[in-house]
Amino acid sequence: MTRSLTLTTAPLDEAVLLAQRTMSTGMGAAVYFAGVVRGTEGDNAISAINYEAFEQMVRHQFDLIFDQLEKRWTLESVRVVHRLGVVKVGEPSLWVEIVSPHRGEAFAACQFLIDEMKRSVPIWKRPLK
Amino acid sequence: MTVRVQFWSYFKDLAGCAETTATLADGATIADLLKDVYARFPQLAAAEKSTLIAVGVDYQPHTYKLNDGDEVSLFPPVQGG
Repeated sequence: MTRSLTLTTAPLDEAVLLAQRTMSTGMGAAVYFAGVVRGTEGDNAISAINYEAFEQMVRHQFDLIFDQLEKRWTLESVRVVHRLGVVKVGEPSLWVEIVSPHRGEAFAACQFLIDEMKRSVPIWKRPLK
Repeated sequence: MTVRVQFWSYFKDLAGCAETTATLADGATIADLLKDVYARFPQLAAAEKSTLIAVGVDYQPHTYKLNDGDEVSLFPPVQGG
């Protein structure tokens, strides 16, 4: 399974990311997830979220998650892009691509990756008014 | 022994700094370190139950035995995505 993690302060260009997709002929499923900054945090309106990361640990914890994906499912590739710094409302902060032979493992792996990320990957949000 | 302690997210605000050092007896555990840290930064003690602890880039329990030069990170629950 090939794995790719990008941490960036630049806006995510989903069209460019999609155009970079590679799939071998045995693959039949590509599942995507985009996490987008909502305009509210609790009951309060916000304009953006500032994402802070302990980058060295983020990379290590994602590697551990990728290891688990590899053990649990047959996947050809996983790509994760996470924005850091200020991300405005309506912009994606997280982008995930999972490529696999069939849809079942791709959906399951994507769900698992995001759940595990929210449990163990040291990234924090600070809402901005 | 001496360990470096880093604070992340709003723990930096609570502590009033991003990092500190702690001098501990040989064989000290993370629990011993936390006693030292909470004595010096009592604002952090209120968040003790939800505090996550890493040594280097791996999570560790309170029973983990520290070594001289370890880099310990204390932070609140993570919120990526």
